[in-house]
Amino acid sequence: MSNDFEFTQPIDICEALKCLNETGRITPIAGGTNILVNMKRAPIETDLIIDLTRLEKLKNISEENGMFRIGAGVSFADLLNWHPGGAVEGLVRPMCAAFAGPLIRNLATIGGNICDASAAADASPVLLALDANVELVSTTNGSRTLPLSEFFKGVRKTAREDNELLTYVTFGKPAEGERCFYYKLGKRKADAISIVSIAILAKLNEGKIEKVHIALGAVAPIAMRALQTEAMLIGKVLNTSSIQEAATLVVKEACPIDDFRATAKYRLNMIEVLVKKGLNEILSKA
Amino acid sequence: MKKQIELTVNNSPESIEVAPRTRLLDAIRIKLGLTGTKEGCGTGDCGSCTVLLDGKPVNSCMILAMQAEKREITTIEGLGSPTELHPIQQAMIRSGGIQCGFCTPGMVLSLKALIDRDPHPDEESIRVAISSNLCRCTGYSKIIDAAKFLSSSETTSMATSSEDWSVGARMTRNDGVEKVTGRAIYAEDIQLPHIIYGALLRSPYAHAEILSIDTTEAEQITGVKAIVTGRDVDMGFYGYELRDHRIFALEKVRYIGEPIAAVGATTVDIAREAASKIKVEYAELPAVFDSEEAITSNAPLVHNDANAYEIDWDTERKGNLCYKLIIEEGNIEQGFGESDLIIEGSYKTPEAHPGSIEPHCSTAKVEPDGRVTIWTTTQKPFVFRSYLAQALQRSINSFRIVPTQIGGGFGGKLFPSVEPYVVLLAEQSGLPVQMTLTREEEMSCTLLRHPSSVKIKTGVMKDGTLVAHQVRMLFNTGAYGLYGPNTAALASMMATGPYRIPNVEITGLVTYSNNVPCGSVRGPGAVQLAFALETHLDKIARSLEIDTLDFRLKNAWETGDITCTGQTLDSVSIKECLQKAADALEWKKPRLPGVGKGLACNWWASGPWGTQTQIQTNEDGTFRLITGCVDMGTGGLNSSILQLAAEGLGVPIDSIQLVRGDTDSLPWDHGHGGSRMTFTIGRSAYEAAEHLQKQLLQEAAEHLEAAIEDMVLEDGSVFVRGDKANAVLISTLCYNRHKKHGGPMVGVSSLLEDFPTTTKKHPIGAFPGASYCAHAVELKVDEETGEIDILRYAAAHDVGKAINPTGCEGQIEGGVAMGLGLAMMEELREIEGKVMNPNFADYLLLTAEDMPPTESILVEQPATEGPFGVKGVGEPPIAPPTGAVANALGDAIDINVKRLPLTPEEVSSLIREQKS
Ligand SMILES: Cc1cc2nc3c(=O)[nH]c(=O)nc-3n(C[C@H](O)[C@H](O)[C@H](O)COP(=O)(O)OP(=O)(O)OC[C@H]3O[C@@H](n4cnc5c(N)ncnc54)[C@H](O)[C@@H]3O)c2cc1C
Ligand code: FES
Ligand code: FES
Repeated sequence: MSNDFEFTQPIDICEALKCLNETGRITPIAGGTNILVNMKRAPIETDLIIDLTRLEKLKNISEENGMFRIGAGVSFADLLNWHPGGAVEGLVRPMCAAFAGPLIRNLATIGGNICDASAAADASPVLLALDANVELVSTTNGSRTLPLSEFFKGVRKTAREDNELLTYVTFGKPAEGERCFYYKLGKRKADAISIVSIAILAKLNEGKIEKVHIALGAVAPIAMRALQTEAMLIGKVLNTSSIQEAATLVVKEACPIDDFRATAKYRLNMIEVLVKKGLNEILSKA
Repeated sequence: MKKQIELTVNNSPESIEVAPRTRLLDAIRIKLGLTGTKEGCGTGDCGSCTVLLDGKPVNSCMILAMQAEKREITTIEGLGSPTELHPIQQAMIRSGGIQCGFCTPGMVLSLKALIDRDPHPDEESIRVAISSNLCRCTGYSKIIDAAKFLSSSETTSMATSSEDWSVGARMTRNDGVEKVTGRAIYAEDIQLPHIIYGALLRSPYAHAEILSIDTTEAEQITGVKAIVTGRDVDMGFYGYELRDHRIFALEKVRYIGEPIAAVGATTVDIAREAASKIKVEYAELPAVFDSEEAITSNAPLVHNDANAYEIDWDTERKGNLCYKLIIEEGNIEQGFGESDLIIEGSYKTPEAHPGSIEPHCSTAKVEPDGRVTIWTTTQKPFVFRSYLAQALQRSINSFRIVPTQIGGGFGGKLFPSVEPYVVLLAEQSGLPVQMTLTREEEMSCTLLRHPSSVKIKTGVMKDGTLVAHQVRMLFNTGAYGLYGPNTAALASMMATGPYRIPNVEITGLVTYSNNVPCGSVRGPGAVQLAFALETHLDKIARSLEIDTLDFRLKNAWETGDITCTGQTLDSVSIKECLQKAADALEWKKPRLPGVGKGLACNWWASGPWGTQTQIQTNEDGTFRLITGCVDMGTGGLNSSILQLAAEGLGVPIDSIQLVRGDTDSLPWDHGHGGSRMTFTIGRSAYEAAEHLQKQLLQEAAEHLEAAIEDMVLEDGSVFVRGDKANAVLISTLCYNRHKKHGGPMVGVSSLLEDFPTTTKKHPIGAFPGASYCAHAVELKVDEETGEIDILRYAAAHDVGKAINPTGCEGQIEGGVAMGLGLAMMEELREIEGKVMNPNFADYLLLTAEDMPPTESILVEQPATEGPFGVKGVGEPPIAPPTGAVANALGDAIDINVKRLPLTPEEVSSLIREQKS
């Protein structure tokens, strides 16, 4: 029979971890906005669904010693109402405002977005630009932290072991004066899936680029950082010519596909355009 | 394992048993019977399933019921009751924010959550708050008005409540309360004891021979109650003017998704599983998908002999050519010879979907006498009955069709979809059967808007005078013709637009292919041709360096002009529409960089076709209005028709009740579509009212022993002119009459055939109640990304007479929204016959955030035929937006648009093309 699975609703992390160790195919569910879509299209292959919505601890956002810790269960609606200020707010809020629509935002969690590991997932570029780490916990491995860039392994593949729970996303607070840019290109103004999305975090020192993170969504099997472009920019003066150079180089780093939303060619054109737009904006803010 | 869960629903504790896979939506609808929460997609994309979870609006299709244990749920039923509406519900009724009502419960809950959070939201927050709730009908403007109305004293376009019902007053719709409270019954809300559910087995191939069908394994699955294939049924061909369609594929399948078998089982899941266990052996055949390719001589044949099908119109058919029509006027070659300049262009529009938020759904039950009752969501109950009779080779009398509320039609509910299957399954199983299409089936297997490929060659003089116009239109109808010929015939009427051109040659071709079949979607042919023609006109104007408004005004029709199909036009208002739309956007003001303005026009018919309206007295002096027409959401039946009847009778509107019935009890009507409601049903209602009023006066004359000419009907009574003191109450007259002779007194009117005629041979030839419109748009384009931002929009429509201005504006705004969707994002894409985007995540409808501020301008140049001069306004607004947007782009960045939709990628590639 289709969609024939058991359901359990642990009330704390410890219990959740125990459930994750049960035998058979196990699927955690948070906001359900990926899982129920999949369920509607075809029966999902799982024996047990573990509901994470009662793990209250995972719904918190905290700041300690210049580190932000966002619980995996924080919804995009909550994130949209979060006001950390500075570059974090400059990246997170526009991303949340462009994420799905208000109904889905009330359900969808940041943990679900990361674990679903879609190439077009909107949280990824922002978190990559912020050099975020993810914390994974299991009864067998205990707790481990790894950079988000190492968490994504391929199309819908992650480094998460089957019995691991994603608990937190963490990242350091950018220094005073760091500039940011976020843009999501979609086919309509609300509730659109990204054709391309981009997040940039940069720091200039007397016109020279001291730090730059350029993260891209929907232009490769996984959300990615344009590392070569970043390396090329470091130490250079941010001006028309270095911006042009970056825009030309970034195109070589991406490997988008043709899909229903756009062709690979357009996506490549757009990252060129958006890198230029973003760096120009950063230049003008500096 | 199933489990008992506790939750609070609408402030009362509930305990229900659910399975792990049960969604909160199913628990609410099925377990709790709260059917105000709707399912439009099941994938989080439409918002019709919105409920409040601990006060926050969420999609109940995205939550497992068990996840909601111990939480607080508010559904629409928990908001306000009919006697005690929540202020937002009241505001929605008064603003005209409700049409079909399918999105309404979700919309109201999203607005409630907003108002609770922020009692005085600005317009932007309102748009954002409802941006997950898709509405296909209203264009959102009046919904936004409702929210604004709550937080301010703004009352623009607010209905004046039902006290003022005179013709021309803003009337609230009669079914507003049931819709806004979630009590309105739609097809999927029908619940019957012992009901079973149906599912279809569909073809995975675009073109293949069926070698064998084996249902043995499927039959053995527990819970399966009936299985029907084409081999078990005496199938007939059915269709509109062309009858080439059968309900099951028999010898071969012609498109991916064509039904092969139907299964009825105790649950939908079992029915689907059993359908998947039916073994069909196929031998794949070469297929053809492209329309140009389809009409070449060596293309694979979709139908072995297209000529074998009955068609009501003269035409030439061969190979895959399903229909052909030619119109010639003047001398085309001579016209080109005389022209100063000849401009050519090719234009393409994609397949598009009607996009009603409510999917197709029907329930059938075999009655004790062997007849079958069908509850269904249909625009045409009576025509459906005859389609079913043709398809199943029965008499019309074998069916009783009970129309439910319709959650959006737009042409998508003109043809039977699931009805024949539920009938057959009910007969075989002896149980009532319900079948609902999934959103995926809805998008990939139901009738579409014809994709078109239009080539235009136009000769003009240097001063802008149009001289010669050659148009070749090719429509790809997919596997079956159905409405293909009608689409081409209508399109041919649009090929010159509302412009004077002496030398014309128009060729319309309809071709079969192995794509999903097309039907007749709001403004069939008009959308395709208005895009091609209006875009082409701007190309000409730009070449001549003439202002596009001046160019249109120069060539626009005037009263007395004759169309290329030989209709002499009366009541032409296109110039007034053009001028008003252009003025609204300050046409001649210089544009900022990246900003452009565009215009487009359209003309269209007000649909005639047979009807009969009866108005009957009740013994207490109230009345019953009886028509077989249904209201697919526009509100015509629920406002304007009642206004006209009240006006004709001279009685208050709330004394007239709209009778709900079925095809057994109502008089025949052609159905809701073709912009005919207020024009045709309205006229017959008005005439029926006058007819009944005469009888009332006669009765009064006898009662008062005076001459009928001296009778005056006023304030619920009749008196001899000058002697109001001795008036007799209408209720007394009715009571006496019913008691004496038996009731009721009946006013009747059928359609009068006094429509315009034509001298030329053409299947349509002349448009009754011809209406005119012009749209103007201002937009900004991002030249790097290709994104379009619509800044403002104006639409001037000649409605002849606005019986209910709120209703007219609702049609215009909804049409603009749909048209802008077609302009910018709507495209159903098939690759080798397979639909690539069968969902609302990738087949995009406009959201509230995309809808620009829109000014609806009502022009009233009366038609000779319509009641008070009414002209239809249902379909016209959908045609101009595509051309207007294309032209505004051309104005902003000097590009020639060639196809739709104008997605960021399409615009960006046009810009890159032009730069290189
Ligand atoms: C209409 C609609 C619009 C959407 N728009 C967008 C959009 O604009 N941008 C975008 O990026 N996405 C979008 N999505 C996709 C989806 O909403 C997001 O990916 C969302 O963040 C998923 O979160 P969730 O909590 O709902 O995940 P769920 O569906 O609950 O889970 C997703 C996956 O993550 C796993 N998982 C969840 N939490 C954990 C955890 N803590 N530990 C381990 N595994 C876990 C689940 O097992 C599952 O595999 C949209 C979806 C819908 C239906
Ligand atoms: S039915 Fe839930 S969003 Fe469409
Ligand atoms: S009224 Fe909104 S979908 Fe019909």
